[in-house]
Amino acid sequence: MQTKNSLLLIGIVMIMTTESFTQKQSPPEGSKPKDFVLPPKTTLTLENGLHATLVPYGSLPKVTLRAVIRMGNINEAADEVWLSDLVGDFLEEGTLTRTSKQLAEEAARMGGEIGVSVGDDQMSVTGSVLSEFGPAMVTLIADVIRNPAFPESELDRLKNDRIRDLSIQKADPNAITNERFRSLLYPDHPYGRVFPPEELLRGYTIQQVRNFYAGNAGGARTHMYVAGKFDAPRIEEAIRTSFGGWERGVEPLVNIPKPRSTREIHIIDRPGAPQSTVYIGLPTINPGDNDYRRLLVMNALLGGSFMSRITSNIREDKGYTYSPGSSVSARYRDAYWVQFASITTDVTGPALKEIFFEIDRLQSEPPTTEELQGIQNYIAGIFVLQNSSPSGIINLLSFNNLHGLPETYLTEYVKTIYAVTPEEVRQLAARHIREEEMQIVIAGDKKKIEKQVAQFGRVLP
Amino acid sequence: MKLVFPILPLSCFALTLASCTGGDSEGFKVPVEYFKLKNGLKVVLSPDHTAPIVSVAVYYNIGFRIEPRGRTGFAHLFEHMMFQGSQNLGKMEFIKLVQKNGGVLNGSTRFDFTNYFQIVPAHKLETILWAEADRMRGLDITQDNLTNQQAVVKNEVKVNVLNQPYGGFPWLDMPQYANTNWYNAHNFYGDLAELDAATLDDVTAFFKTYYAPNNAALVVVGDFDPAEAREIVSRYFEDLPPSDLPSTPDISEARQETSKRFSKDDSLANKPAFAIAYHMPPRNSPEYYAMGLIDQFLLQGDDSMLRQTLVQERGYTSAVDGGINLLGNMFNYNGPMLWIAYLFHDQATPADTLKEAIESDIEKLRTDLVDDETIDRARVKFRSTFYDQLNSFFGFGRADLLASLALFDDDPEKINQIDDMIRRVTPELIKSTAQEYLRPTNQTVLVLNPTKVMSKEEPKYAN
Repeated sequence: MQTKNSLLLIGIVMIMTTESFTQKQSPPEGSKPKDFVLPPKTTLTLENGLHATLVPYGSLPKVTLRAVIRMGNINEAADEVWLSDLVGDFLEEGTLTRTSKQLAEEAARMGGEIGVSVGDDQMSVTGSVLSEFGPAMVTLIADVIRNPAFPESELDRLKNDRIRDLSIQKADPNAITNERFRSLLYPDHPYGRVFPPEELLRGYTIQQVRNFYAGNAGGARTHMYVAGKFDAPRIEEAIRTSFGGWERGVEPLVNIPKPRSTREIHIIDRPGAPQSTVYIGLPTINPGDNDYRRLLVMNALLGGSFMSRITSNIREDKGYTYSPGSSVSARYRDAYWVQFASITTDVTGPALKEIFFEIDRLQSEPPTTEELQGIQNYIAGIFVLQNSSPSGIINLLSFNNLHGLPETYLTEYVKTIYAVTPEEVRQLAARHIREEEMQIVIAGDKKKIEKQVAQFGRVLP
Repeated sequence: MKLVFPILPLSCFALTLASCTGGDSEGFKVPVEYFKLKNGLKVVLSPDHTAPIVSVAVYYNIGFRIEPRGRTGFAHLFEHMMFQGSQNLGKMEFIKLVQKNGGVLNGSTRFDFTNYFQIVPAHKLETILWAEADRMRGLDITQDNLTNQQAVVKNEVKVNVLNQPYGGFPWLDMPQYANTNWYNAHNFYGDLAELDAATLDDVTAFFKTYYAPNNAALVVVGDFDPAEAREIVSRYFEDLPPSDLPSTPDISEARQETSKRFSKDDSLANKPAFAIAYHMPPRNSPEYYAMGLIDQFLLQGDDSMLRQTLVQERGYTSAVDGGINLLGNMFNYNGPMLWIAYLFHDQATPADTLKEAIESDIEKLRTDLVDDETIDRARVKFRSTFYDQLNSFFGFGRADLLASLALFDDDPEKINQIDDMIRRVTPELIKSTAQEYLRPTNQTVLVLNPTKVMSKEEPKYAN
């Protein structure tokens, strides 16, 4: 129908240019590619097992410092959901010698602040400051990590903040779709426990907070990253001095999940919702697998870039949605592939049809060499961009370290991307995007979408 | 063990060093080469050889503020049309050209400009300049393309506003409540019916009126040779014809004389939210730079007054957000603007309590002179944040500032004078600025009233 329309309309195309019938020009090729080398880095290891990586980068007088600790939601028992997040909140509440206000003011005088973020596998403590304050920020971060005060006076306030944030998240269509999707893939694992019950959160004690941190922090689990413009000898000295006497702690916990997925549809009812928030996905290979980088090529071609097939189809051709995308989401020795989209309610079924159509098509015929080359250039270009900012460089290095990947993962990244063939892309799609195991979660107006989506799987009551 | 010694001494040492020597982070200069083509196109070149990439940004001097009446959201809908086809690049071809050459791209519509930008491997500079010139020359769009993008944009409004708790709060809402002139106070994402009403004739007319070289700035930042770039720019852009630009409408806001208060129901939200706004001093005035520092005192960073009061001391919320121009920064706009602070809180905390707490911090700035230590700290935060802006998104942040200063001030060199303008702000100026611009009668409060009914899905979590 869409095609027919556009054919009919060719006769009345609006031409806004003055020269409408000249031959189309091709874009100029540009000049020769410049060499790209990964920014050079130095690493050091302290006796307590703490690693540090220093990457001089750029000309702006700023430096980013980030301590990454192997501690996060993975370390939570079933009755400790978000305990690690609460621990993270507490790290900003002062040390044995500094109140939270003193911490904040000291960081501000360096042009930054202490930012703590807690994820599935890792917690990070970051400060981005003017270059001359790099060593002082190392010292401040070390104090936050080594000597947290965990003041009980702040416990009720921080728990109440978390309870409020939980409530706000539970009203967000994306957050609740993600939560259901995760809980289905990881039924008995911390990765599947995205939200805590409110009463659980309310019950946490200061002793639980302290014990959790003490049981998981230590030099052996910590990696300090420094990127930007800085005085390397002084930074190195600050790292040795301020982290040197810290205890080693225990080795990182390894708890690899066994994710599952079933071809069935879960609808979270949101009566009157103008859009259906959709997650379609399944467990897939993780960064430790040799095919992982190749999978990223397949993903970028299928749904993971603006020019990808699914985005071209359901956005640029059909107009069903604004910001669809697919991605590979990785944790330690674990990953899933997911296509997500917020789709206008009355075309939810048609959009799912097109998504499966594109998966089928890629599984049954290899892409052209030209299409694949475009995607390979795109991924190679993105890799250069990822290496073109201090925080981007730190992200890549810490990804590599978390997953225990060899240097060659990065040094041979571009080469590996370009080695993928069209037939391999087809095989990767067939092997890893198994439609019969596709878990579908939709937050939307159940009455209006139930019938539309029934043909794509059993709708759970 | 060894840990006790270094903590205080080291940081004091660093601080002393910095204040004694002035620190090595001051005096950083952005290279700026500025010229105009005969057709009026403003061009800024700013080399940076850190990484083998270039950012190309084209800014048109047309924002949603002055889009046509009866066509709310049109400036933004039009932005989407710029990706739908030009003379030499059909639908999807511009996007593919950038991505298959290893780059990223986007466009955005703001109060006073619409921008288009790409970050690509350095050797593709010519390719991208050619493509930008091609779509500045003219579009080639069908009704199908327009219909398709009307659907895409309506989905954008749904995902960001209509299907989202707190959607539009306060970035889209507050200008509509605080301003009185239609140009500043209409729904710039667009009424869905008015988006639907847009025609191909509207698209043609809008392009003809605003998308001309004499209404645009082109900025290149990154790893390139300026002489070579100048030659390429001239080659592709020199022969584009300028247009007769319409006179600028009156976008001024009358001085606000009484405080205003509004409330908005949100059926998707389950916790209340609170926002407070004040009209900014005119751009580039001494008071404007003073507001740049006041924003640092009150709102930016963990040490800021409002965070300390509302988060740390009183526990009303987990964060206070906001600043000057929620859709950008204090440099990339050109007209009336708001300083806004907002937060999410519990039903147990009445809006009046929040308002009083915020006003009490503000009142300190209106009655006392700020001490030197506080000013120094705010200046350092300002400079550090400013550098972050320059660095943001692989050099695009630098392009954004240069384009704004070229487009609005005809003076991109100003990028290197901002630190100095901030340094000139005195405690007396801060106080007088706060007295005039943070006075209660210049204030608009917006209270978001949550009316969400918990669905069947959620009782397992309820109390």
